[in-house]
Amino acid sequence: MQNKVHDITGKFTRASNALDVGQLVKDEYFTLFESIGAIEIMDPKMDSGFLQNNETLEETYDPLTPLLPAELIGIMDQLLCYEMAWHTGYPLSQTLFTSIHMDRLLWPEAKVLERAQFYRGEIAESKRPGTLLEVLRAYCLAVVKGCDYVIAKVQARDYFEEEDFCTNTYHRVLFVRVPLDVFERELDAAVELMEETDLDIDDSLRSAIITRLNFRKAFLRALDIDLPLEQLSTCWPHLLESLDSIRKTHDLGNPVPGAFSTKMQRRLASTVPPRPVVELDFNDALEKLQQLCIDCSEATRFTDLPLDPLEYISFLCTFANRNPTPLPYSRSYLATILFHPDILNSPISLPLTDTKSFVFPAPTSVLDPINWTLSPPLNPLHPKTPKLQLAMLIDEFTDRTGQPYLDLWVALGQNHCRLRRMLAHVVVGWDMLQADAVSVDSDLHTVCQSLRLGGEIMDSPLSTWVYIKKLWMMEKFILLGFEQDIYLPDEFAGMYYFLHLLASRRVATLQKCVDHGTARMEEFARTGNVHDKQDTQTNLFFIDAELQHATAISLLAKALYKYYTVLLYLGLLPIPSRSRTFCNEQRRYELRMKPFLSLTPPEVPPFAAWSTALEPWGSYAEPGPSLVVELRDSASGLWRGIRGALDGVMEALGKVEGYGAEVCKAGGVDVAWKGGIVALRDCCVEAGVEVGVVREVVEGGLKEGDGEGKGGSVKVLGARVEIPGEGSQVGYFGGWVVAKVLRDKE
Amino acid sequence: MANDQATFYLTQFIGKALRIHTSDGRVFGGQLKCTDKDRNIILALTYEYRAPSAEAIKKAIQASGNSKAHVDWNSRYVGLVVIPGEHVKKIEYEESSMLQGGKSGVVL
Repeated sequence: MQNKVHDITGKFTRASNALDVGQLVKDEYFTLFESIGAIEIMDPKMDSGFLQNNETLEETYDPLTPLLPAELIGIMDQLLCYEMAWHTGYPLSQTLFTSIHMDRLLWPEAKVLERAQFYRGEIAESKRPGTLLEVLRAYCLAVVKGCDYVIAKVQARDYFEEEDFCTNTYHRVLFVRVPLDVFERELDAAVELMEETDLDIDDSLRSAIITRLNFRKAFLRALDIDLPLEQLSTCWPHLLESLDSIRKTHDLGNPVPGAFSTKMQRRLASTVPPRPVVELDFNDALEKLQQLCIDCSEATRFTDLPLDPLEYISFLCTFANRNPTPLPYSRSYLATILFHPDILNSPISLPLTDTKSFVFPAPTSVLDPINWTLSPPLNPLHPKTPKLQLAMLIDEFTDRTGQPYLDLWVALGQNHCRLRRMLAHVVVGWDMLQADAVSVDSDLHTVCQSLRLGGEIMDSPLSTWVYIKKLWMMEKFILLGFEQDIYLPDEFAGMYYFLHLLASRRVATLQKCVDHGTARMEEFARTGNVHDKQDTQTNLFFIDAELQHATAISLLAKALYKYYTVLLYLGLLPIPSRSRTFCNEQRRYELRMKPFLSLTPPEVPPFAAWSTALEPWGSYAEPGPSLVVELRDSASGLWRGIRGALDGVMEALGKVEGYGAEVCKAGGVDVAWKGGIVALRDCCVEAGVEVGVVREVVEGGLKEGDGEGKGGSVKVLGARVEIPGEGSQVGYFGGWVVAKVLRDKE
Repeated sequence: MANDQATFYLTQFIGKALRIHTSDGRVFGGQLKCTDKDRNIILALTYEYRAPSAEAIKKAIQASGNSKAHVDWNSRYVGLVVIPGEHVKKIEYEESSMLQGGKSGVVL
């Protein structure tokens, strides 16, 4: 039975006329808030279906119009531009789906691929598309399937629609069910068509078209979501080679602007107002494509990494730091490899391996594989043997660690801004893990005592490990904040101070691990156990390298904290005027520290302690008299402290470098790792230089407010400060910002 | 019509399928969410329907050689829309076939 339709215009109009002004007849769950999202029909800015006078909905361009070879190249290259624009985050509606050819292939939806033509149904023989249109069709089909693969890969991982990538296909089905080889055959057939000798076409054009078809085929293969891990690395280098010849032959093409139109948006199921088409320059598009290939090719190196979660994390961090930042697809690509069952279900427990590297440097009965072979007593009321209990405790902890551990991995795969925000949440997860680890530790302790294993494990090993990891994440969070310009120059001193606190806590914690390892090693030496001594030694190298690295971070942060404090006192940093009514320093402090206020043990110092550290000579506007004395004396505690810290950084970095990338479990990314150490050292040198400049400036002319010895504001004459930003060559690297002091010319 | 009567009459259509014809010839089919004195209408889960252009009809007739050739209306999903009262030309109520014969509870 058909739905019955009643015309109710008249009565409806009379009824609405009878309503009061302002009275709404509405669904009780429908809110004003929701109504804001409604599209206003007949409003040219909102309504994509609104037609101007004399405007028609239909395209004037007929996709069956025969093409010249140059026009074919033009359309192919234009499609590539739109494809890359889509990769950078624009929706399909503003990019690829503006192509009339593309639209015809996809809509109305063809049941079988043969029906996906630039026309639907039957067509007169004379109007059948010619060779070049057939070639274009094969190319377009492959583009569509490529998009399908890209969407599938991105959607399978964690991504954020608004900030990363737009997966909306507007109800168009991108040949989800059609397998890869069908598209390959279409492309092969197209290449054959082009190679026909009786096709009358200039040879350079012919080979340019064939290059594009072959590129498309190789690209599609590389995007294939079912490609096994071991074949991944073979796809990308090959692609990079063909990019060059596409670039060189681009000029042979003639653009066909008519084949693309904003109007296509009207045909898409679209709940948003019409938006302009995104134009990406061909060279920029190729650059993006090249970047995509290089990044993906780099990501495939993941499969060659040694089986060690710390290597994985080094790789992830390095990949995220790549410049330019990898596109969302490349990040999903790496994440897909990372979360591949073959990697996740490795024969060893990944979190446990990580734990071992830090807190079980020496072979111990706690992790003896024998423990896992014991069966529980038949009678559940009987006590389990202590060794079995050990195995169960470790298993309990490893299971508990799984989720927070994966959360960290997921976070490391996100875009940088998202990584910073996600880390704040991941840290909270690890904080809870730490609390649980404490209880496992105490059980472990009890069992170890019953077995008289006293010296074999360090004090609370599991919670120590969690704590080291947690501190590392917090340090990263702060450094990312600097990198993303979250902090204002007047906050630099405070944030570096906080970073210094965190890193020095990590140093102290790592020191405990080193002490434990050293003690064990001595014990092995005493008992003549060479083999175990050797093992322990190797692990100790890693822990000590971590310790030195943390020391470098801690000391550099300390030096910068003091440096910025001096700049604040000298009035060289801009302090924004803030309304006193709504803002005071304490509230600002609490807001800044909010992600970390709930942690145990407390990491955030109380505000009073914080103020003392940051304002050692009283307020910046009116410092105490000892400030001037300290500033003037090059041998004062202040200057010596900074110099000492910077020397310490150099020394620690030297040790880290001496250990090398492999010991630091960054062997897979050794080039980037070395680069990181060098850049850190450069920052340290730059800090030394700038501190020297400040000293000279201070000696040159210090203007005091209320006369010698009585305190009051201190100003320097003839100097200003420049904060380096992204792209700066000196004094700026991965969250380390060294302000430059410039002297005005006399 | 008195206000309470009018309110009752209009309220029965809330959540029901309506078809609104607009001044430019399009038809919007969706669920009524809200209306007011100016006959502004908010529809949810709306589809837009548009008659094929004269050009398209001509082409279809030429192609098939039949003056009664079938040409589909274009339709697409547009979601939540507000149709200003001044552009509302015709309002139709679509009674579900399941509920015909007064079962839908709407007094026309």
